Amino acid sequence: MAAQTVVHRFPSPFEVPTPPGAEGWQRMYPYYLLFSEENRAWEDAMLWYQDGIHHPEVLFPFDTISHEAWRIALGQNNSRIFAIPPAYGIEQRILNGYLYITPVPVTDPKWVEERVAVFMKRAGHYYQSWNLLFDRWKEKMTRLIEELEALPVPRLARLDDEAVVTEARGMSTGWKLLEAYGRLIDNFFVAWQHHFEMLNLGYAAYLNLYQFCKQAFPGIGDQTIAQMVAGSELLFFRPDDELKKLARLALDLGIADRIRQPKKPEDVVAELRQDPRARPWVQALDEAWRPWFYFSNGAGFYHHHRSWVDDLTVPWAAMKGYMERMERGENIERPKEEILERRERLAREYRELLSSDQDRATFDQNLALARTVATYIEDHNFYVEHWHHTIFWNKMREVGDRFVEGGFLDDREDVFYLNRHEVAQALADLVATWATGGRSRGAVYWKREVADRKRILGVLRNWSPLPALGPVPAEITEPFTVMLWGVTTERVREWLGAAGARAEDEIRGYAGSPGVAEGVARVILSASQLSEVQPGEILVCPITAPSWGPVFNRIAAAVSDIGGIMSHAAIVSREYGLPAVVGTGDATKRIRTGDRIRVDGNTGVVKILKRAAS
Amino acid sequence: MDYVLPLEHCGRSVLDRVGGKAVGLWELLRRGLPVPAGFAVTTHAYREFVRSERLDREIRWWVERARESVDAQLEASRRIGQLFTERRPPAFLTEEVARAYGQLGEPPVAVRSSAVGEDARTASFAGEHESYLWVCGYEEVAASVLRCWASLFSPQALSYFAHLGADPAEAAMGVVVQHMVDAQVAGVMITLDPVTGDPSQVTVEASYGLGLAVVGGEVTPDRFAVDKVTLEARSSRVGHKTVAYRYDPSQGRVAAFPVPEEMAGQPCLRLEQVQQLAQMGRQLERELGRAQDVEWALDGDGRLYLVQTRPETVWSNRPRAPLSNPEEPMLSRILRSMRIPMRIAD
Repeated sequence: MAAQTVVHRFPSPFEVPTPPGAEGWQRMYPYYLLFSEENRAWEDAMLWYQDGIHHPEVLFPFDTISHEAWRIALGQNNSRIFAIPPAYGIEQRILNGYLYITPVPVTDPKWVEERVAVFMKRAGHYYQSWNLLFDRWKEKMTRLIEELEALPVPRLARLDDEAVVTEARGMSTGWKLLEAYGRLIDNFFVAWQHHFEMLNLGYAAYLNLYQFCKQAFPGIGDQTIAQMVAGSELLFFRPDDELKKLARLALDLGIADRIRQPKKPEDVVAELRQDPRARPWVQALDEAWRPWFYFSNGAGFYHHHRSWVDDLTVPWAAMKGYMERMERGENIERPKEEILERRERLAREYRELLSSDQDRATFDQNLALARTVATYIEDHNFYVEHWHHTIFWNKMREVGDRFVEGGFLDDREDVFYLNRHEVAQALADLVATWATGGRSRGAVYWKREVADRKRILGVLRNWSPLPALGPVPAEITEPFTVMLWGVTTERVREWLGAAGARAEDEIRGYAGSPGVAEGVARVILSASQLSEVQPGEILVCPITAPSWGPVFNRIAAAVSDIGGIMSHAAIVSREYGLPAVVGTGDATKRIRTGDRIRVDGNTGVVKILKRAAS
Repeated sequence: MDYVLPLEHCGRSVLDRVGGKAVGLWELLRRGLPVPAGFAVTTHAYREFVRSERLDREIRWWVERARESVDAQLEASRRIGQLFTERRPPAFLTEEVARAYGQLGEPPVAVRSSAVGEDARTASFAGEHESYLWVCGYEEVAASVLRCWASLFSPQALSYFAHLGADPAEAAMGVVVQHMVDAQVAGVMITLDPVTGDPSQVTVEASYGLGLAVVGGEVTPDRFAVDKVTLEARSSRVGHKTVAYRYDPSQGRVAAFPVPEEMAGQPCLRLEQVQQLAQMGRQLERELGRAQDVEWALDGDGRLYLVQTRPETVWSNRPRAPLSNPEEPMLSRILRSMRIPMRIAD
């Protein structure tokens, strides 16, 4: 990094003041995730940017586990396992409750060269047997999920169970609880170990096609390359497909009106279970339930990203929407064939534009590999962030229950105000005093602490994180930064505000999915509001999650604050043939519901045409 | 010997009789692309004129003189020009033109030179020969044909003869006579990115009025770029279009009109129109086997016409080495692609 020319400079992380009222926020997070005097020289030499793609929100202390898990997993695979020659991992720091990251380059040219041979051999092994290894990966991941599901988080009773004696266990339920927490955390980290097993290799293969296309066709859109690669049977369309199936079945069985009752979906399901006429529908729901309803309404990275199994509101509204549309005789199927046809046409026509047979042969090979790895890139999230994490966050709620029972916390949800190391400490306190019958400090300590942390997080939530910190080098050699985090010249310039005063009525982001649409904006801040979206409106949201799929069936276009070209919003929009502008930064703050806007998915620009009467 | 051929008959086999422009229009016509109707005056007519008027020796003499200096070149060009333009069109020409013009319906027409011999592939003579617009009446058309012939000896053309050591007696010129498009907007289209050579782009430049303002560089035209495969917009830059050439009925000729300030900075084409053009450009390039440089016009009813196409020469004539080697192991390619540094700041 030292040799790099510094061309601009954002504020140093050491200069950023703590928002008034948030003093002491640092104690909520592990010491090693804070900017520190000990590392100041190094930390001040790096460009840090806020990870708005994966961690846009202020971090609950416990939820730091998500990025800690990828910090290790992504890093080890780049640095120590596959020896990506120019890149180590991605470092992380928390400032004022928000996550900042920086890629760590390999700076010694000799070491870069030595890594080349290692990479060729090790990465080659995976590329050669990609599909086989992905099949094994799915088995591994499914086993891990089964272990997680089967893990009890035992309740501590006044007297331990008699079975401890009759089975001569020689081990208390208290100890089992400590052990369960340890296994729970291990299980989470292992899921992320798996998550990155093949991911960066996949991205590297995609990058190879990407760079080739950019060289041959300098003006080709990122999304056009993505469309040439994308499959049409992505796992994360599957839950939505299941809802369509249930909608159709409800109509066939004549139970549509019962489903439409203005009652909680869970109560309606309970009623239907008693109704013999509804049996096939209930059966279909039960069959779809695991794993397709273990589907997060968010990215899955945070405990408050709840899933369909936790709350049926979102899938229920979507299913009712499908029923209505089918009754009107509309086709609700995804245009799978069209998408495949388009993908083949794009590939064929770009191929024809190449000027030599050699280049056409190279293109074919690069495209074939990119399509092979695409299934992993597209499907791994369902296993980890959706299916696995849905279970994980609920297991943690059971840990929260144990604290409530022990008088440490008032509410099971409060457990997320402790970081994972603090949970281990508090459990040690709880179990030890359960054992000794003495007085735990935690019972007073944590309730006070949680109350204070709620206040601090409230302050931090209203702080607008700076997009970046530190010096801007002329170029980044980390190969994944641009693709995964969308860090480009343009983006940095926008961050610096160098583009000049921005137009009030114009919002810029990434061209996520092609096309242009005009319509009325609907700003949706969380999944619970999704049912407010009216047909033909333009969805404006912070981030979309796969489970929002159903809503894409009735909107005209999508705009998100967060996300890159490979983000869910972009992929789903391309799938539905809707224009999308993603990664705008602040569309949800600048656009209001009712505004008339134009979304240009070709250029990444959203224009506010007419403000809603306020 | 045909002195006049309808554009429908100006195929490749008569290239040396009607010139590149006429054949280019035939290529458009036979593909069902919108081309204003018209006919070509062949080189037979030119040669018959030079022969019957005994201009041969005099032309050769002036061309020789032209080698002496730049001033001599200008003088020679002017004097040869007079040989053509100060004569009345001969009867054989007037009759043939009158008949073909009558068949067109006697509309206002454009009369354009259609050079023969030097293939536009190697030397683009773009703009070096004259065009006459809004010509009305068969006598005027015939007179304009003589003027086109005269432009074969423009100062630029004379220096080109000198450069190639070509015999001016061998030179000849075809002329194209076409329905005049009453262009509200016109411009050029090139089926690649002229800046990077990107073959997956179609670039359109457009301004108000006749294409003169764009071709002559008198305005900063709007520039639109669309993806050749998806037809999606890639970029657009709205120019500052201060002048428009239009027919001025009070003067009976084309004149430059100022463009109202509020219109000068407005885009003069809609994306759909750019896409419609790009689609035609894509078809042409595909069928002709190489990138094309097209002139087009949009009439008052919103109909698009292609008025000329020729092969693109700048990028197409550059030797292009393959970008890649399919024998290179995949891993080595992946390694290279990971090591391309991403510029994040200028």
